[in-house]
Amino acid sequence: MAHEEPINYYEYLRPNKKYPNVWCSGCGIGVVMGSLIRAIDRIGLDKNDVAVVSGIGCTGRMPVYMDFNTMHTTHGRALAFATGLKISRPKLHVIVVMGDGDAMAIGGNHFLHACRRNIDMTAIVVNNWIYGMTGGQYSPTTPLNARATTAPYGNVEQAMPICEVAAAAGASYVARTTVYHATEMDKFLEAAIRKHGFSVVETVSYCHTTFGRLNKRGGVVDMMRWLKDNSVGQIAAQKLDEEEKAAKIVRGVVCDVEKPEYLDLYQQVIDRAMEAK
Amino acid sequence: MTETGSAENQAAQPVAPGTVSETPAKKKGPRGKVTVFGTWCKGCGICVAFCPTGVLSLDENGHPYVEFAEKCSACHWCDTHCPDLAIIVEPIE
Repeated sequence: MAHEEPINYYEYLRPNKKYPNVWCSGCGIGVVMGSLIRAIDRIGLDKNDVAVVSGIGCTGRMPVYMDFNTMHTTHGRALAFATGLKISRPKLHVIVVMGDGDAMAIGGNHFLHACRRNIDMTAIVVNNWIYGMTGGQYSPTTPLNARATTAPYGNVEQAMPICEVAAAAGASYVARTTVYHATEMDKFLEAAIRKHGFSVVETVSYCHTTFGRLNKRGGVVDMMRWLKDNSVGQIAAQKLDEEEKAAKIVRGVVCDVEKPEYLDLYQQVIDRAMEAK
Repeated sequence: MTETGSAENQAAQPVAPGTVSETPAKKKGPRGKVTVFGTWCKGCGICVAFCPTGVLSLDENGHPYVEFAEKCSACHWCDTHCPDLAIIVEPIE
């Protein structure tokens, strides 16, 4: 069971915005938004202590609806703005929501260096394998041989593994889940927000409007069912051989380690400098 | 032909949206009351396709409504997965 008492979503949504939300009917970004609201509600954070930062893209519309401190920034630079915000207001819980293009292509370098610094923020990467808002161009996470409007005969580039890149770059909490597994997503987002250090949660979603249409994957229900059938937990993934594992989405916590956090280290530098005076 | 048709209609009589039928549930266990907000729903059909007990159905316009309210086992699949946050499931005793 997800939760005992029904959560009052209206408390966390802006009343003066137009509903239903802007995303296509059945888009997984709405599921991620609901999950983020539930995670924040479960931790019991005050709305004024949370800042949600986003870049450009379908996912960039998420903070528009949520009634926290929000910032809608330029393409790919959400993490850079969020880093500045966190350093100036260290008590804020900064949550960055990005799409796969926003995080890995345009903001790829910011992503690597935010992981390397290990600053206490939460990055949620909604991976739908394509640039949905601009009409279906292939993105760094488009699977090999999948079709896109800029790759009508199939994509020849390898997909970038977001979680493995984040873990290798030095993030302290990295997890992957899908929008079908929304209860698991609640758990991972809660752990990521609680983690003292940079945490990344990759939520595998779908874009039925462009990716689904171009690759003949069917509608919303078919793509949701595909996520259910083609994702495995980590224990089940150990029993598979390499070829089978490569074809599946492996859910679970990729890394969860304790590392020195950026703002703590910076405070030590400030203290040392003050003593030297 | 007409008799069987009327019998089916009686058996599958739809319950008004948001209400709980008077007939008791066959199995014991948690039960819930499903509410769908029509103005927020875009009719993607995820809730109807994945509901494990088949509480919801699509109307002629492609929007879900609560057809068999007494079947709800309060598993919260529909309200956790609704992309439009248009469903709320309240557990009832």
